[in-house]
Amino acid sequence: MRTTRNFLLFVLPAALVMVTVVAWPFVYNIWISLTNLGLYTIRDGASFIGLANYLRILSEPDLWSYLLRTLIWTAVNVFFHVVIGVALALLLNRPFRGRAIYRALLIIPWALPQYIAALSWRGMFNYEFGAFNLLLGELGLPAVPWLSHEHWAFSAAILTNIWLGFPFMMVVALGGLQSIPKEMFEAAEIDGASRWWKLRYITIPLLKPVMAPAVILGTIWTFNNLNVIWLVTNMGEPADKSHILVTYVYKAAFNYYRYGYAAAFGVVIFLILAGMTWLNWRRSQVGYEV
Amino acid sequence: MRPRLAAISFSLCACVLISCAPGDDPLRLSVWEQMDPAQQKVLYRQLREFEQLHPGVRVETNHFETEKLRTQFQTAALAGSGPDLVYGPADQVGPFSIMGLIEPLEKYVSPESLAVFTEASLGTLEGHVYALADQVGNHLTLVYNRSYVDSPPDNTDAWLAQLQELTVDEDGDGKIDRYGLVMNLLEPFWFVPWLGGFGGWVMDENGAPTLDTPAITAAMRFMRELVLLGVVPASCDYPLADTLFMQGRAAYIINGPWSWQSYREGGIEIGLAPLPRVSETGRWPSPMTSPLGYSLNVHVPEARRELVLELLGFLTSAERVGEVSRELSALPSRHDVAQWPMIAGDPVLKASWDQLEKGRPMPVVPEMRVIWDVLRPAYQQVLAGTMDPEEAGPWMQNQALKMIEEMRR
Repeated sequence: MRTTRNFLLFVLPAALVMVTVVAWPFVYNIWISLTNLGLYTIRDGASFIGLANYLRILSEPDLWSYLLRTLIWTAVNVFFHVVIGVALALLLNRPFRGRAIYRALLIIPWALPQYIAALSWRGMFNYEFGAFNLLLGELGLPAVPWLSHEHWAFSAAILTNIWLGFPFMMVVALGGLQSIPKEMFEAAEIDGASRWWKLRYITIPLLKPVMAPAVILGTIWTFNNLNVIWLVTNMGEPADKSHILVTYVYKAAFNYYRYGYAAAFGVVIFLILAGMTWLNWRRSQVGYEV
Repeated sequence: MRPRLAAISFSLCACVLISCAPGDDPLRLSVWEQMDPAQQKVLYRQLREFEQLHPGVRVETNHFETEKLRTQFQTAALAGSGPDLVYGPADQVGPFSIMGLIEPLEKYVSPESLAVFTEASLGTLEGHVYALADQVGNHLTLVYNRSYVDSPPDNTDAWLAQLQELTVDEDGDGKIDRYGLVMNLLEPFWFVPWLGGFGGWVMDENGAPTLDTPAITAAMRFMRELVLLGVVPASCDYPLADTLFMQGRAAYIINGPWSWQSYREGGIEIGLAPLPRVSETGRWPSPMTSPLGYSLNVHVPEARRELVLELLGFLTSAERVGEVSRELSALPSRHDVAQWPMIAGDPVLKASWDQLEKGRPMPVVPEMRVIWDVLRPAYQQVLAGTMDPEEAGPWMQNQALKMIEEMRR
């Protein structure tokens, strides 16, 4: 009895914080999503409008293009984060001169504040004076309208985010690689396994339990990454055609004060992410192992 | 053991709750601002002076970028907290007042005290004064580098011809080394003066958008011509324009009062002139003007309201407004300061007045945000050549009406 009470007392502060900063805002957000809370209703109190916001969102013609763009954004970014991160981790896992320096240099993108990195990259995408087009010019290639064409603007944001995100996967993969017992590779070598076979049958399977949660985290972070798209494309330019779901919602809430609508959109995004996470978790079948 | 555990638990809970509670210390004031570093320096000095005059009082400041300030203040004030005073351009008065986040100041400031401010400097909406300004203007002006330009032409035909002469490839490598003009081509704030020059405006007096007009088409065509002539770098944004002008790689820049001091400090001998009259219409371009000032949070506790109002009076007193004007080349918000010989006789301020007189006040209604958001993509597409100037007007008007309706729903 006494143990239970002590347990509850220990848990209480954490539980209170969780209720205050997670559960209550979540429930409150759902409540807002069922109202017409906006600029003109906030002062005198919003009215309950049921599922009207949700119905509007689902009938919004742009919803599906934003969703598709968000899925492309997430898939491309996470794919390159993992591939580049694991490849660099494999290289850094071998002993060579200056390894510590390379490791430190490769972590720099992760250490830089996203705000500064995104604005610097935006500068590098300038049509006439940006580093990319100057480089293309040196190679005799035509300049690319990075920021003024919707597909190029979206590509520019993806390039920036790939650069920003691969070090996280690299660090996770490096930790995973270092925890694989060397004896397994030695045994495989004695059995005559090639480098590819060792990678295929030892490294990748043993790295999977470490990488799976990182991929899920990376997917959620990338899906919800507002800063990079917002700053590189300057709020969805050109013509609001480079938005992903979260940047669109941010604009609806904070530029147009459509709080009820944005809250409903937030719930929709949450449901999409929850579904994706659940599927990913089930498919990777590592939930219980981690 | 148990009482100790309970005490620790509840202390932690209390800490969490206390940290969430709004401060009501009567001697601790707070100001949130979006000033540039030069103006911040002046403000900090003024606040220290205020503290010296009021022993025991501390004024804390928090800096945000303009957009961030708006969202942060909204969030804080909606939750019943936030700073005592919030400083920014007049366009934030619209949403803040509609949401009931700032106080009408005529409740606290006497009509005699309000009368010292110029009409253009009061952040007024529907007859209520919601902000007291320390400067007025925020308007775009033609700034020129005296090394390249003696006196700017006063009409666009002559100006365009001059810009072409001033755009040069000095080393003959096929790349432009010096541009005639640099300006932010991404933000419609830089387009609006020309819209005025062609006889149009963004809204009518009822706040309804007026974006589908022949004036819009003509102004868009004019801006497109500037880009096609190659006298301004394509896709030129604010940092690029500022850098090129600072490096002496542009003869003209269109920029506002916040930038002039930095050009002078950067060793560029600048001159100011009104944007040239549009030859086609004979009208002067009309940049948007707006005051920059302080608004009072509705949640200021009774216990320190008087002190906060005293701080507001101090920051908008003749001496402080004069300091801001003198040190930042900003136009004063008060009639009395405008008469000071050092202000009235300053050639930069005089040129700024000339431009201000040709400008029009920026509408402070929240729908202005929609106007910016529909103008921006259309303007950028016209400049990029992916939309015809003729298509822009109908598209913007439809979008604006739709978005305003959604905003009001």
